[in-house]
Amino acid sequence: MELKVDQELCLGCGNCVVSCPVNASISPEAYGGHGPKTEDVIMMVENGVVKLFNEDKCKRCGTCPLFCPTDAIYLE
Amino acid sequence: MRFVEIYILKINISVINTHGVQMPKHIVSGLKYLTAVELIRDGLSQKEVAKILEMDRSTVSHYLNGRNLSWNSIEVAEIITKFCPRDFLTLTYALLDNSEKTRIIVKTCSKKEFQANIEESCIGCGLCADTCLMNAIVLDDLKAHIDSNWCNGCLMCRDVCPTNSIKILEVENGC
Amino acid sequence: MVANTKEVKENDICVQRISPEEKRELNFKDDICIGCGICEKICPVEAIDLGDIGAIERNEIDESKISVDEEKCVLCGMCSSACPVDALELKLDDKSIKEMDEYPQLIKSAEIDDETCIYCKACETACPREAITIARILPDRSKLVTGEIEIDKDTCINCGVCEEMCPADAIEMEHHLPTSSDPTISSDINVNKDKCVYCLICKKSCPVDAIKAVCRSCSYGEYDLKPEDSEIEGSSFIDDDACVNCGWCEEICPVDAAKVEKSYAGELDVDLEKCNACGACIDICPCNVLSFPESTKPGEIVEKLKKDENFCIYCGACENVCPVEAIDVKRTDVKFTPTKSKSWKKQLESLKT
Repeated sequence: MELKVDQELCLGCGNCVVSCPVNASISPEAYGGHGPKTEDVIMMVENGVVKLFNEDKCKRCGTCPLFCPTDAIYLE
Repeated sequence: MRFVEIYILKINISVINTHGVQMPKHIVSGLKYLTAVELIRDGLSQKEVAKILEMDRSTVSHYLNGRNLSWNSIEVAEIITKFCPRDFLTLTYALLDNSEKTRIIVKTCSKKEFQANIEESCIGCGLCADTCLMNAIVLDDLKAHIDSNWCNGCLMCRDVCPTNSIKILEVENGC
Repeated sequence: MVANTKEVKENDICVQRISPEEKRELNFKDDICIGCGICEKICPVEAIDLGDIGAIERNEIDESKISVDEEKCVLCGMCSSACPVDALELKLDDKSIKEMDEYPQLIKSAEIDDETCIYCKACETACPREAITIARILPDRSKLVTGEIEIDKDTCINCGVCEEMCPADAIEMEHHLPTSSDPTISSDINVNKDKCVYCLICKKSCPVDAIKAVCRSCSYGEYDLKPEDSEIEGSSFIDDDACVNCGWCEEICPVDAAKVEKSYAGELDVDLEKCNACGACIDICPCNVLSFPESTKPGEIVEKLKKDENFCIYCGACENVCPVEAIDVKRTDVKFTPTKSKSWKKQLESLKT
């Protein structure tokens, strides 16, 4: 199973970026709502849509889909 | 017919080519003959032998007097009994397609003795018992127990054992 | 070879091996599974894999919490014996190994003693698995009070004051819409004596003194009330399928009627430095051990995660689901019934960490 993104649906709100516990471990400023400072994180918003940088780091805990308002990020 | 297709092919080539074409039922007759001889030697009556092998008593009598049976069949059967234990057992099972008679024939005609031991690492999954064509294995208190009297040394149980707990040794009896 | 067959129905799994001697069948029930992964750990042939239980528990994906490789499974039943919630069950010739003495069984129980139980329903409310049902029959209210009440219907003006004031809803008026021929709101008034508690509010509030009432309990004490009339009857029921032996019922019971025995003992450690409060552990925990703390005053910064280890069964589901390895579940003891098999004993003991 993999983490996937439908960029058509994405609003670029960044909820997934800041809710992801793995992102917060890699880039602590993400915990609490700031944008991550490194491209080592799993996902980040770029040009208004979320982009997956390191989907292999995903542990499939299901947190980001829980917070995504448009089901643009999902596990399949 | 669980295990045996490949063995039949192998044996068709190695045995039957050298001894002329043999119908499976002829080989079966040969195996029954050899078994009957052994059982009579062990002191059983012709009646008892007939019952065990599910034959007419008169047929047993004919066999023992060398009638109604080609010597060729006996030769082939003898060669089969000298195969490695697994080939002997699986081929016999394929020929007879009868578990109980296979057990009797293989046990009676096997010249080898085996000592089977199950180690403490056995988890009692029962795979060996389900595999054993000699029905020599039972489970008791989550551990398999092999009746060495019935073990013919085919090692199929050892091969399926997930914990590598079965050790089977051939008993050297001086011959 | 005697080959295994596998059948997956919805998310339940059934693996079978049928030989002339015996039928072995392993059943997995997904809705009972708590995602602890103990089956994966104890399997001697590595036939079981725990799935992405975080995403599964949060309904992000629909699949079984575990997968069983029927090519590897030897149907030994160790997973069935070690499963803390009986989501896995091995049957030999249709008889469960959980009913066989030669197989070691986890020692666990949850019981409510109906003799002691006061049917307060505290356990029913607290149970995180909704496994407890308390059925209770309350005493008749009319038997707990005694008195007399009478409404003088000739004096009564059907104003409805007593009906509005009555705390027990015991006054019943025959309401109708006022018309020009009968511009009142009610045609009759009666007292339901099964509901009346003789508090005398109606009598005191009636503007025309139409109600005569007296409470005998107050004036004469409680001498004429039978104690057995005030008894609450009931029965308790614990659904074994849902119960995980967490101990909430035992903890919350005010009269010690609930007794729980857990099969695993250990320690639950949360590294709050590593935790990023994703809540996956809270969602997967079958025992409501973990929660987000709530602030008690504005501006208060609370810890990321709170644990109440009293209720932990040390199953390890939270550790499995944590994406940042902030949780460590140590198992120091596994309680199971005696077995003669050294290999089973060793394998069960290996669950200690």
